[in-house]
Amino acid sequence: QRFRFCGDLDCPDWVLAEISTLAKISSVKLKLICAQVLRDLLGEAIEYDKILKLTSDAKLESGDVKATIAVLGFILSSAAKHNVDSESLSSELQQLGLPKEHASGLCRSYEEKQSSLQDRLRACSLRLSQLGSVCWRVDYTLSSSELQEVNEPVVHLTFNVRDRECEKMTAVPVTVSANKFRVLLAELKQAQTLMNTLL
Amino acid sequence: KLNIGVDTIQHGVEGLVYLLTESSKLMASIPFLDFQDSIHVLGFSDELNKSLLQLYLDNRKEIRSILGELAPRLPSYHSLEWRLDVQLATRSLRQQIKTAVTMKLHLNQNEDQTAQVLQTDPATLLHLIQQLEQALGEMKMNHCRRIVRNMK
Repeated sequence: QRFRFCGDLDCPDWVLAEISTLAKISSVKLKLICAQVLRDLLGEAIEYDKILKLTSDAKLESGDVKATIAVLGFILSSAAKHNVDSESLSSELQQLGLPKEHASGLCRSYEEKQSSLQDRLRACSLRLSQLGSVCWRVDYTLSSSELQEVNEPVVHLTFNVRDRECEKMTAVPVTVSANKFRVLLAELKQAQTLMNTLL
Repeated sequence: KLNIGVDTIQHGVEGLVYLLTESSKLMASIPFLDFQDSIHVLGFSDELNKSLLQLYLDNRKEIRSILGELAPRLPSYHSLEWRLDVQLATRSLRQQIKTAVTMKLHLNQNEDQTAQVLQTDPATLLHLIQQLEQALGEMKMNHCRRIVRNMK
């Protein structure tokens, strides 16, 4: 059976298996655990002790607690990934055997954070390098060893590029003459116009 | 506490470790009784032989799994990030439609994480998928099945 929140594929076996573990926790506590898992997915620190306290009533073993966090993380991030609305998510979870109150609690938490989750996933998407900032300076060359009177303006640009792989900022300095710079600027403006037509 | 020199204890520990790892390593060719025979040669008391045997039996599975981890490894798959892009225009040519799939393959090798960036067009990607599915399909062929059955 195909599920939208799994990207129109079958639901993974391990998710199916953990649904019964989720049902063991009360729906109120499940909603609070969801809030913690969402914090983790959004890049904030997860408070594992709070989760342990919330699951202690259901008498889950430590393996089950980790499985609960994993399955909630999967459901929430996968639903955000495939842009599933909270109503459809609720009905699909109920089809998998999650009780109605649990499903609606989970989906309410999802709905609140859906767009922040998607923004975060967009930011984490594969990206090879990123322009951090550009610094510039305009100089006027008076003279050089080759020619006594140069009298030309020149632009110094420094591109600060962040390499996604090693999280380092590299500075790339470039010196451009006035004419070349005009060409560069014109081409970049053309690219910008093209980008604007797509927005 | 035992009133023996440090060196003697170190040698004793090393000896025990060697005995246990060698026995666990060769487990398939040393059935139950042979372990007893082998250590009998060392001339220890019967009680000591029995406790050594018990130590061996209790721990051999764990020792074998640890020894299994020590084998040299090739880089193994950790995860794959991908993205699908469409190139619409370049400085030299406008009105293009060129799709490309960019991938970052994360590999693990003995606790080192490396990443390799790859890019391909959809046609090559489909070919790649086809080749990998063929490789998986080999497992279901008779030849592989026979070997797997014999291993079990």
